[in-house]
Amino acid sequence: MRITWIKIQNFRSIRSLEVDLGETTVFIGPNNAGKTAILEALRIALTRRWGQRGTGFSEYDVHLADDSADPKSSSGVSIELRSEESEPGEWSDEIVAALGHILQLDLHTGRRSVTLRTQCKWSEDTGAFEPSWEFLGAGRDPLAGRGARRVNLEPFWRYLPVFYLGALRDAGDEFAPRSSQFWTRLLKALEIPADLESRALQVLDLLNQRLLKADPRLGDIAEKISIATRIAARDREGDLALRMVPLKMWDLLSKAEIILRNEPDSPWLPLVSQGQGIQSLSVIFLFRAFVDHLLRELNEPDSEPVLALEEPETHLHPQAVRTLWRHVSELPGQKIVTTHSPYFVQHVPFRDLRLVRLKSNRTEIHSLPADYSTALPLLQGLERVVATSGGSLDYEHASETLTVHGALDEKTYRSLLECCGKHENRADLVQKVKDLRDRSSRFIDDEELRSLETYARRMRGEIFFAERWLIVEGQADYLIIHAMASALEYDLDAHGVSVIDAMNNGDPATFAALARALEIPWLAVFDGDDAGRNYKTALANRGFAANEIDYRCRTHPAGDLEAQFVTDGLGPELRNTLEALDVRDAADLDDKALLSQLRNKKSAYAAAFAVRIRGDKTLAQRAPEAFRAAIKELRGLT
Amino acid sequence: MDNLLELSLRDLTDIQCRAVHWNDGALLVLAGPGSGKTRVLTCRVARLLESSRDDHFRILALTFTNKAAHEMANRVAALVPGLSDRADIDTFHGFCAQVVRQHGVHLGIKPNFAIYSRSADRQAVLEDALRRDSQRFGSDIRRLLSLIDDLKARMITPEQAGQCDIAWKGVASNEGDLVARAYRLYEDELRRANALDFNSLILEAYKLLGYPAMARHYQTVYRYWLIDEFQDTNGAQYELLRRMAGEHFREIFAVADDDQTIYEWNGANVRRIGTLVEEFACEVVQLPTNFRCPPQIVEAANRLVVYNASRVASKQKTKSAPGKSTNEEQVQCRVFKTDRDEVKGIAAEIAGLDVYARARTAVLARNRVLLESMYNALKHQNVPATILARRDDFVSPEMRWLVACLRQINRPLDRRNMTTLVESFGSFSSLSLDFDELVSRSVVNGVTYLSVWMEMTRDAALPSPVMAIVDAVERLAAGRTTLTPAIQQILDQFDSNDAGDDLKEDLSAWQRLSREIRVSQGFTSLERFLQELDLRSKEPVPSPGTVFLATIHGAKGLEFETVYLIGLAEEVLPSWHSVKKGVGSAALEEERRSCFVAITRARHRLILSRADQYKGWPKPPSRFLQEMGMLNGGSSTGLYSQSA
Repeated sequence: MRITWIKIQNFRSIRSLEVDLGETTVFIGPNNAGKTAILEALRIALTRRWGQRGTGFSEYDVHLADDSADPKSSSGVSIELRSEESEPGEWSDEIVAALGHILQLDLHTGRRSVTLRTQCKWSEDTGAFEPSWEFLGAGRDPLAGRGARRVNLEPFWRYLPVFYLGALRDAGDEFAPRSSQFWTRLLKALEIPADLESRALQVLDLLNQRLLKADPRLGDIAEKISIATRIAARDREGDLALRMVPLKMWDLLSKAEIILRNEPDSPWLPLVSQGQGIQSLSVIFLFRAFVDHLLRELNEPDSEPVLALEEPETHLHPQAVRTLWRHVSELPGQKIVTTHSPYFVQHVPFRDLRLVRLKSNRTEIHSLPADYSTALPLLQGLERVVATSGGSLDYEHASETLTVHGALDEKTYRSLLECCGKHENRADLVQKVKDLRDRSSRFIDDEELRSLETYARRMRGEIFFAERWLIVEGQADYLIIHAMASALEYDLDAHGVSVIDAMNNGDPATFAALARALEIPWLAVFDGDDAGRNYKTALANRGFAANEIDYRCRTHPAGDLEAQFVTDGLGPELRNTLEALDVRDAADLDDKALLSQLRNKKSAYAAAFAVRIRGDKTLAQRAPEAFRAAIKELRGLT
Repeated sequence: MDNLLELSLRDLTDIQCRAVHWNDGALLVLAGPGSGKTRVLTCRVARLLESSRDDHFRILALTFTNKAAHEMANRVAALVPGLSDRADIDTFHGFCAQVVRQHGVHLGIKPNFAIYSRSADRQAVLEDALRRDSQRFGSDIRRLLSLIDDLKARMITPEQAGQCDIAWKGVASNEGDLVARAYRLYEDELRRANALDFNSLILEAYKLLGYPAMARHYQTVYRYWLIDEFQDTNGAQYELLRRMAGEHFREIFAVADDDQTIYEWNGANVRRIGTLVEEFACEVVQLPTNFRCPPQIVEAANRLVVYNASRVASKQKTKSAPGKSTNEEQVQCRVFKTDRDEVKGIAAEIAGLDVYARARTAVLARNRVLLESMYNALKHQNVPATILARRDDFVSPEMRWLVACLRQINRPLDRRNMTTLVESFGSFSSLSLDFDELVSRSVVNGVTYLSVWMEMTRDAALPSPVMAIVDAVERLAAGRTTLTPAIQQILDQFDSNDAGDDLKEDLSAWQRLSREIRVSQGFTSLERFLQELDLRSKEPVPSPGTVFLATIHGAKGLEFETVYLIGLAEEVLPSWHSVKKGVGSAALEEERRSCFVAITRARHRLILSRADQYKGWPKPPSRFLQEMGMLNGGSSTGLYSQSA
């Protein structure tokens, strides 16, 4: 089992959002965007101590429209979790029996699911924020009868034990013998054969005696202290001894600790004396050991852990972070991860990414889904449209949900509109179908995502952390526009703008589609040549409207960047730059020869020229208008 | 391990033990009266639970009454403390309600539907439904409703009723379409009210189980099924079981006694036991030893029942438990001149018993009329008595009002229930309100019916005890108090010395029901409490020293020290209807089984009585007396006593 969907309302910075969750899901986004809120929501809803005072929600968890809003008058926090089979029969008979009263069936696919809703509202009755829970039916109404009994919660939790590894993973805490969530339980579960235990204790006794004899002062100390027992317990024959080594088996085991050395000749050191990086990492692997050896024994044979993992990259160097994805994705159970590391994100499959952003004080989520859904009543003719859609449509009767896999094609779209026919809510329904088409038009297919994986690995990490994208053709554009922006006092890095040199990483249209799907504001500057025009055509083919293309895509009217420089009268400065690059007779080159030289030494001149622009605001102001306009537009671009 | 379960298992006879430990597919246990079938059922459930502590599968046990379910659940809980939560012990209707609550969304039914059990409610629904329609229907709503019930009981949906030509009980051929249409409208109206009636619980669950995934779900969740009193399963219930079991499920454990089939009028059928054995390839185990009745009764019962032709062929003759001695007092006969003399005579005899003996005595009769005159005769003798019968509703206006209030809080838009609320309140507070005014004020001011009602009640300046209960409802409706204290406050007001008999009975029923619901449901919300209340009978708990009066059907499954069976005359027991059908008719055989059930309720003493005339008409002695060997010297053990 795993959580396949979560809906959170009125929780902290989240007003309302829904997210699909996979085997591994990675949330990225700036600080305070709401990533931790999502993990916390999940943890609260799945934690068995939940409901006891102080363990669930507090009044600070209620999302407020503004500072003056009263949390007591809010409709309250609501968290809905759904766990659904990916195919019928995935869940064992034991799971089905244990969750017998709360399971819902999709009668058409045979898939089973469970939906739990956790709420927290102000109660006049008790004068406190009161949590509540209920399992929902397939039609989203709370279950009644046996399904409404509280005893149903326990088995659900047992099948989905949740573990939270926060960003601060201190090995000192996590490997503490008596109070850590994994280490203590592992040690306590150790089974020492009785004969080994008694022999070990004999050896310890012997050792203790030897140690005591080693220094006569020890005996004297013991004798002095034993006076105390004689005073305290007059009528009983007390005794007192000095123990240098553990007395009981557990005392011995609880002394267990991890030691390591980095090189064969280095001294062994305890884990807590190692760097933060290794400490943090070892806690993640401690979790793995715990799951492998103890989780199912403590819960159910079919239990799957749900791991909420914050910033697995903490304190690790980039190379280590790059390999971390594989290790995290191979951890047992379901992983829900937040990260700030582009290096980590580099290897995460696109569909597993969730971009978290704060917009007008509300958390939003964007992703690259494979399916799009809308609520739609069972209209006349709808079943036929679904049946003849060649598998691109699915309809769930109980929840009245229509799902399209990939983009909704025009013909199917028309058929769906026809189904709305003369329904009394026709206008609403048509709007829903339109909205479904619009959303699904942002679909990016697997093949294209694969090609991006190949080309764009190097830059992929960072662009997902950006707030805006500026798509340019090549590296020269990249260097020049960075320098110009800096000189014009709009530092692109500082303002969260990623410049994407699309030619080296794939195709500008793909990036534009990606930006649209993820709702990342973007601009592009292309050369005013055939290639540049082709990019615009490619965008039109992807369904971008002409006015949007005109607004977002700028071109250099003179042709390529070099031609534009020369046209803009920067010939002298460029000749100068070439001279500095040891181009012979650079100062005497005519425009044509200049252009040819520049095009030959594109990266080299661009790098050098960029340095000059960076230090010279007036020069930047004379640089190509398309770039300057784009830089200006980027401020406040939505 | 010397726990209660171990001890109970040790006490079983070999044959009981075999049934309890059965592990090889379907089993039919033919269990005669007093043969310890309840013990076998509870031990089996407990044993299955005990031997599967680490598993999650559940056990389904279906009974015919909530009382039986409640008792079985209590016994299982005592045998295997902490494990009984994995056993769902319920009535057929209760189980179906659960199926429909959990999955009804696939049929457009919301999980929180109400259950309409009162015929007044259902008639009102049908009336409303017909009023909406342009078609003119005959005026006899009751007849129409019973025809609809009949269709439902035969698992015929409104669509099917419209399509096929079905021969109904006395329905003219041109009337069929009309009934089908009324059926459709009635169902739509119920759906609009988010309600189901008893028969639709079974029918809707049956529809859901038609999906293979659904049947598989229940086979997976419930690994073992147990069915009590299988002989009373009607066609709909049996079809439901068959659907749920699908092609392969065989873990069915049914307990039945063909000789105790007394619900053929409700669709039960003696032959169904044979169908079960055949279709599920059941092995059969027989429990022929009667541990309850003295030997004379066992013999009389054996002599009686062989007159029936429809019986399980291999059925063994019932044996008395070893060690039970024969004694002349065990079966006695009384003969009176008239039915009035009969009840008077029996009442006088019972009045002569001490309180201790009375509390263990029951008077059984074939029909309710006879019981009521018995009740009056006992009352005349100052002997406290209670008629045991299912009650679909409370009888006092006070308690009907309270339930209506709770329903209204739960479903503020329920107009029909609001009518009940206003009327019942009117009959104990003498406040009559204009219902139309109430509705229009509610619409105009955009507030609930209940809050308008409270406003109007307040304006009427009623005496303060009445106002106190209105206040309690108001606090509850406003969410300012929780369920239990608010209800307690109201009950305290009702429970005074001058409370009438009806109210006293209802209060005692309420205590029993809230206890039962607590046991079966654990914590309850208002909604869940009402759902359970709808399913259960509202009869009171008899007070100590009370003589039980029951129809034979009402006494099913019970036992008493002393049983008086009255009205043993032709056209009374057997009934006029069955006598008309003639010798060898199914109806007459069912009457014989009724007599069989009645006499086997006695643990110690059985008194058979009859009069020479009933309602002024001379009636010969019941043929059953003759068959049992209790007439004209045919009896070697009966003792004649003439009393006038």
